[in-house]
Amino acid sequence: MQTSSKSEIMETLTPIFREVFDDPSLVLRDDMTAADVEKWDSLNHIDLIVAVERKFKIKFVTREVASLKNVGELTDLTYKKLVASR
Amino acid sequence: MCPVRLRIFFLLLLSYAFYCTWSVKAAIALAAMTFVTFFAGKCIGDAASEHRAGITVFFAIVLLTAYLAFFKIAAIVSIRGLGRLVMPLGVSFYTFKLLSYVIDIYWGKIEPTPHLLPFAASIAFFPQIVAGPIQRPADFLEQLPPSSVMLTKGLPRLVWGIAKKVLVADNLAPVATYVFGRVKGLHAAELLAGFYLFPLQLYADFSALTDIAIGMGLLFGIEGPENFNRPFTASSISQFWRRWHMSLTRWLADYLFTPLRMATRSAGTAGLAFSITLNMLAIALWHGLTLGYLVFGLINAAYLVADAFTLWQRGRFFKAHPKLDGLGSWLGWLLTLHVVFIALVFFRARTNSDAIWLLSHAWRGLGSARSDLTQLAAVVGARSLAVALAGYTVLELAERYRPDNWWRRVEPTVAPWVQWSVQAAFIVAVAVGLFMLTVRAGGQQSPFLYQVF
Repeated sequence: MQTSSKSEIMETLTPIFREVFDDPSLVLRDDMTAADVEKWDSLNHIDLIVAVERKFKIKFVTREVASLKNVGELTDLTYKKLVASR
Repeated sequence: MCPVRLRIFFLLLLSYAFYCTWSVKAAIALAAMTFVTFFAGKCIGDAASEHRAGITVFFAIVLLTAYLAFFKIAAIVSIRGLGRLVMPLGVSFYTFKLLSYVIDIYWGKIEPTPHLLPFAASIAFFPQIVAGPIQRPADFLEQLPPSSVMLTKGLPRLVWGIAKKVLVADNLAPVATYVFGRVKGLHAAELLAGFYLFPLQLYADFSALTDIAIGMGLLFGIEGPENFNRPFTASSISQFWRRWHMSLTRWLADYLFTPLRMATRSAGTAGLAFSITLNMLAIALWHGLTLGYLVFGLINAAYLVADAFTLWQRGRFFKAHPKLDGLGSWLGWLLTLHVVFIALVFFRARTNSDAIWLLSHAWRGLGSARSDLTQLAAVVGARSLAVALAGYTVLELAERYRPDNWWRRVEPTVAPWVQWSVQAAFIVAVAVGLFMLTVRAGGQQSPFLYQVF
């Protein structure tokens, strides 16, 4: 259940990433970081966070966003927030 | 030579001995701030509640920021009973290291380190104390105990830095000193020489200091973060700031820009413009609380905001007109280079009035350019200027094509006599580099530009 939910989150995140970073061929991986995506910098990192917040109707705090290391951790955090909001 | 367990203590001792040669009082202040931050980190890590951790990190941030601000203010105004103070060596660099440590613990990115001495060594690490790069304590502590000396990586980097400083930066320094010292008495061609050559001097000088710091660090088994990535080839201002003084801009991106953007994310483009401007002003005023740095920050902020607001439209335009992509990059490079150079006039000029004079007179009366440049060459030395310009060309080419990386790939495949020849040439280069440093130390070496921050 948990795994399928997380993979569903990853599936939903993919078009968000593609739109924010203007790269239709982007394929997400758990270990993917900003260094792997050409247009992923501090300027549009928050655009990504805002887009995720809107899509899942959740709110992140600075401390959570600042400590994210890769896409896998963003997926986990989103999953945790969704579980908490149920 | 030193047992692995003792290496860190040796490094700490060496770092404080180096710092004490500058000022014992400043070394005591450094030790005190290090101890307070270490203790604050422990309190944040052990806090019984998030609220208590929040209060502790808040007070630690206030204390460290006030400490830095005090010296920045005391450097420009007289304080009753103290007069005008000289800033402790590298205070801007080590305060930022200390701040990142407590914030990272609060954010849950790292655990407090259990031992004070390795932490103190990470803050006072002598190759980086003068002018960075700003290596976060966690990155330093992960490398402990220091691995064996990385001689083949460290020495070339050190020699490269010395060569940059001695051949390029020091030979360009007289131009900037001459032009910015008497802006209002000069003609257009001389002002233009100052306009175009000071940024090259600044880059050669500051990146040389970084090369020396990274090279020295490697000799002690510690790998420092990179600070530059060919900044003057950037085709946009956001790219420039991702390539210039990277350890500072990354620091501010993480600890100032991200929290600001998070706080203002519901304000849309106004929030973005506000965050960019405040972040850029912090970068500018980190250098010192002067009007020149303020204008430098405002020019960069205005260009960064314009860059961020038009990013999407530009992306669409060049996607629809791929043939213009090359031209767009070239124009972007030309525009970025000139806006950065204009901002750097305010960074370097003695007053903003001098900076405005230079910028408004640099394009007038180029008729006498030939005689003006001949006079400038006579004052600063035509040979030094030729060496500097040739050296700068080599610098850009070497950083573009990276012959060192190429050699590392090729070395195992070539005949032994070729390997020995290259090694012999390298040893000669090291000897010449060290000789030049020794000679220049007793001669007219200009101080590193970034050692005053």
